[in-house]
Amino acid sequence: MSTNSTSEVMIELDELTKTFPGQSVPAVDKLSLTIQKGEIVVFVGPSGCGKTTSMELINRLIEPTSGRIILEGEDVTDAQVDSLRRRIGYVIQETGLFPHRTIAQNIATVPGMIGWKKGRMDERVDELLGLIGMEPSQYRDRFPKELSGGQRQRVGVARAMAADPPVMLMDEPFGAIDPITRERLQNEFLRLQAQIQKTVVFVTHDIDEAIKMGDKIVVLKEQSHIAQFASPEEILSSPADDYVSDFIGQGASLKRLNLTRIRDIEMATDTPTGTAHEELSTLRQRLAESPWSTMMILDDQHRPMRWVGGRDLNRANAGEDIAKLGLPATATVEPQATLSDALNELITSNGGVAIVVDGSGVFQGVVDIESILTAVRTMREENSQFYLAQKEISEAID
Amino acid sequence: MDFLDYLSRSGDNLFELSLEHINLVLISMGLAILIGVPLGITAHRKTRWNPIILSGAGIMLTIPSLALLAIFVPIFGLGAPPAIAGLTLYALYPIISNTVAGLQSVSPAIVKASRGMGMGSWRRLAKVELPLAWPVIITGVRVSTQVVVGIAAIAAIVGGPGLGNEIFRGLRSLGSPGAENLVYGGTLAVVIVAYLFDAAFILIRRFTTPRGIR
Repeated sequence: MSTNSTSEVMIELDELTKTFPGQSVPAVDKLSLTIQKGEIVVFVGPSGCGKTTSMELINRLIEPTSGRIILEGEDVTDAQVDSLRRRIGYVIQETGLFPHRTIAQNIATVPGMIGWKKGRMDERVDELLGLIGMEPSQYRDRFPKELSGGQRQRVGVARAMAADPPVMLMDEPFGAIDPITRERLQNEFLRLQAQIQKTVVFVTHDIDEAIKMGDKIVVLKEQSHIAQFASPEEILSSPADDYVSDFIGQGASLKRLNLTRIRDIEMATDTPTGTAHEELSTLRQRLAESPWSTMMILDDQHRPMRWVGGRDLNRANAGEDIAKLGLPATATVEPQATLSDALNELITSNGGVAIVVDGSGVFQGVVDIESILTAVRTMREENSQFYLAQKEISEAID
Repeated sequence: MDFLDYLSRSGDNLFELSLEHINLVLISMGLAILIGVPLGITAHRKTRWNPIILSGAGIMLTIPSLALLAIFVPIFGLGAPPAIAGLTLYALYPIISNTVAGLQSVSPAIVKASRGMGMGSWRRLAKVELPLAWPVIITGVRVSTQVVVGIAAIAAIVGGPGLGNEIFRGLRSLGSPGAENLVYGGTLAVVIVAYLFDAAFILIRRFTTPRGIR
C-alpha cells in the first residue's frame, strides 16, 4: 500500500460502515481507503461482497451508518447531498439515460442544474461527443433508443464527465455489453483517462477487467473487508492470501499479458505501404526493396485495407483494382490495447501480425508474435530474481 | 313523430345541451386531475399512504352514481355544484391508480442515475418521472373521462346541466307521442360527446408524449 508523498489525496474513506435496517451484520464494515488524485481504483470481488454498496457510500446514494467520507480534504459526510453528487460523475451499467431527452440534453444534465449558460453547455456537449468519437452534428439531437448499446454507454460516460467533476464513480460500466464492444470501450476510456486524468472508482466482478483498467485494485471479501489493495502487478505476482489467489483464478501468468500495452512494446514500422492509386510497378519495386514478404495497402485516410504479397502484384494486370488483391487487413488493435488483446487478434489474423492503428484508424505499424514474446521474456526476467536466489542457496547446501 | 324529424327540430337544443355536458365533464375532469395526480404522486412516494389513497378512491366507484351525486345536494343545494362534486370523486380512481402505475414504471436505473447526478426529488419528479409516466397518466384520464361522460347524464337529477335533461324529459313523458325520441336523441348525443373526447385524447396523447418515448 505505497503512498506516494508527492501525490494528492482525492478521496479518503475512514472506517465507513453501513448496516441496513433489520440486519445484524453490516454490509460494509469499517472500510478505510485512501485514493490518490488521478488514479483508477478498481473495487473487485464476488457478488455480495459489498463493492457496489461501498461505491454508493461515496456519493451517499446510501447514507453511511458511521465513518467519514473526505473529498479533496473536505469532510462531506454531512454536506448537502445533491451538491456533493454534482461534483462526482456517476456511470452505471444500465446507463440510466433519460429516454425522453435528446443526447445533448442528457449530457447537459448536470451543467443545466448548476446553471451553465446555454452557449457554454452546447459547446461542452459537442466537445464531449467529439471526445467519445460520436459526430456531434449527427448525434446531438437523437434519442437514446436510436443508439446502440455501446453508444449509449459512451453517452453515459460523457454525461458523467459533463461538468468536469474531479471524481467519477463507475459501477460495472461495461458489464452489459458484448465482449468486442466492451474491449473497445475499455480502450477508449483508458485513452480518454490519459487526457483527462480523473480520479476514478470503478466497480467490477471481472478480475481481467480490473487488471486492465486499474492503477490500483482493491480486492474485497464479504462485508467489504479489504483482502488486498495494491497495483495489478503486485496482486498478480504476490497475492496477499489464498482468497486473493483463488479470486485471480487460473492463469495468473497469462493475465500478466493484460498489464503491458501495445504502446509499451516495440512495433515494426518499416512495413512497406502503398495506396490503391499507385502504379503496380511502383508497388512491386517498393515491396522488392523491403525485407518484407507482403505490403499493406492503405485507403485514402491511411487506414489499413489489404495485405498484398509479391505474387499478387505480379499476377495482377494493369488497371486491376488493387483493393481486391491479397487478403483483407484484419486484426487491428489500438496502442492502449493490451498484449492479451493483441495476441488474441494475432492468432486469427491474415498477416500473422496485429496491425496497430490510432483512434481514427490510421495505420501506425505492426506487432508480430516475436515482439510479444520478447515482452513476455522481459517480464519473466524481472521476476526471476527469486528463482536465482533459491538456486544459489541450494548450491550452497550441496 | 319520426326520429329524423325530431333531430332536425331539436338539433339546436341538443347542441346547446351537448356544450353544457362537455363543460360539466371538463370542469369535473379538471378538478379530478388537480386532485388525483398529486394524490397519485403521494401514494407513489409515501408507500405508507398508498393503500389508504388507492382504496379510498376505489370505494368511490362502488357507491351507486345516483347516490354519489345525491349526497352532495344537502351541502351544495341543487344545480351544477353537487354534480361536479360527485363526478370529480367518480373520476379520481383511474387517474390516481394510473399515476401510481406510471411512476412505478419508470426504470429504477433512470431514477438511480438521476439521484446519483444530484437531481433533487422535486426536480426529478418534474423533469424525469412525470414526463416518463405521462403516457400512462393520460390513459388514466382518458378512461376516467369516458366514465364521467356517461355518468354526467345523471346530473340532471340533481338539477345539473347537460344532456341528461333531454333524456329525463323524455322518460317523464313516456307514453305521450314522440317521448322516446327525446331519450334516444339525448343518448345518441352522449355517445357522440364520448367519441369526441376519445378522439381528442388520442390527439393529446400523440402530441404531448415526448418524442424519445413515442
